[in-house]
Amino acid sequence: MREISVVVNGRRRKRMIKDNELLLDFLRERLEVKSVKAACWRGECGLCTVKLGGGLVKSCLVLAVEADGKEVTTVEGISPGGELAPIQKAFVEHGAAQCGFCTPAWVLATHELLMKNPKPTDEDLTEAVSGLVCRCGTYNQIREAVADVAGTKSRRRVAEGVAQA
Amino acid sequence: MSFGSPYTTLPDFEYHNPKTLDEALALLKEYGDEAKLMGGGIGLIAFMKERLMSPAHVIDLKGVEELKAVRRIPGEGLWIGAAVTLSELLDGKLGEEYAVLQEAIARIADPMIRRRATLVGNFCEAIPWVDTPPALMAMDASVEIAGVGGSRSVPISSFIRGPVDVDLGPTEIVTAVVIPDAKGRVGAFEKFTGGSEFSLASVAVVVSGQGKSKSVRAIYGAVNSTPIRCTDVEDQIRDGITVGTIRKAGQVASEKVECVDDVLASSNYRKHLVKVITTKALGRMMGR
Repeated sequence: MREISVVVNGRRRKRMIKDNELLLDFLRERLEVKSVKAACWRGECGLCTVKLGGGLVKSCLVLAVEADGKEVTTVEGISPGGELAPIQKAFVEHGAAQCGFCTPAWVLATHELLMKNPKPTDEDLTEAVSGLVCRCGTYNQIREAVADVAGTKSRRRVAEGVAQA
Repeated sequence: MSFGSPYTTLPDFEYHNPKTLDEALALLKEYGDEAKLMGGGIGLIAFMKERLMSPAHVIDLKGVEELKAVRRIPGEGLWIGAAVTLSELLDGKLGEEYAVLQEAIARIADPMIRRRATLVGNFCEAIPWVDTPPALMAMDASVEIAGVGGSRSVPISSFIRGPVDVDLGPTEIVTAVVIPDAKGRVGAFEKFTGGSEFSLASVAVVVSGQGKSKSVRAIYGAVNSTPIRCTDVEDQIRDGITVGTIRKAGQVASEKVECVDDVLASSNYRKHLVKVITTKALGRMMGR
């Protein structure tokens, strides 16, 4: 066992951990941050996505000890004070969630994309979220939510425009 | 609760985070066979979850400052340290001469995994369907190895000895991969995955130099236990890449590249894929 100190969503958290503990378990079990979902455990579904240091990682493929001294952001961290981030409002408006299990990861990933690239193309979005899955299949609604925040048109909206013209 | 359930936890180990190469080598000297080196950890963590590996010690190379560099060594080439991640190699700094490697990396997994995975870690796994070995072999890259008793360098084609088998002793560390300079080198990487995470066939083609010093490489991955070179394909395009030579090269590839039968694909299917990817890769090179 060793003690690690991680700043999670702006708050410093210290816990004793085992060397073989995953960051995913540290967040869910030690800190009870349950928005970070445990699903495939092998880096395929992306539902355990968190921001570590400067970028997104899949926390089932990271050791907790590696986060020592670093900053971690989960979806709770993008709406400090409870005020929803623009992408969260857009998810609600466009019905970009069905069962909701994957939603925290999608919100975090699309939020992060929009922070780095405020006007992502459809291709940028596809690439950025290529490591995430939504088994309910809300991909089109997510596309529209992102396009809404970015002030661009999603592929579907473009297609509808062409159909109407 | 995840603690204790199979495939979701890691076996017990002690984690080490050396800051210098000397520290890492000292740890290896102390623990040898009991230790595993970790780059991005993508492969190692997966193997440990499956209990295919249960090292007593994990030595993380991410903190070793001297291995984080990408630098040009005059007369030698581009030195890429063992802690350099795949995404760091995609930031546009490498230039056109490294297109074959960049195309291979751009389609590995997803951005989140590429942010963690290292180039060196990727090829050191020597899994038959991994994509960077064919690209590195097509550029005649060599592997730089540091050991307790000294350092050495071996061509990547001999470094990868077989599936999950590389030429690396228990007290050695791959410090870097070195890609020789080649002005005007053009190349392309193509693969077919069938929508899964694994390549069923991949090809890296590189042409560099001119006249008598012209060098051509066609390396096929994921079709056999290690990447294999096909000189018959190389001969077809030595005098130029045209619609005619591309068609012939694709045909020759499906005849000459030895493809295995396994659970992922039949030999005949792979032979068809080899033709398709050869044609696609060469088609892209025609415009370069």
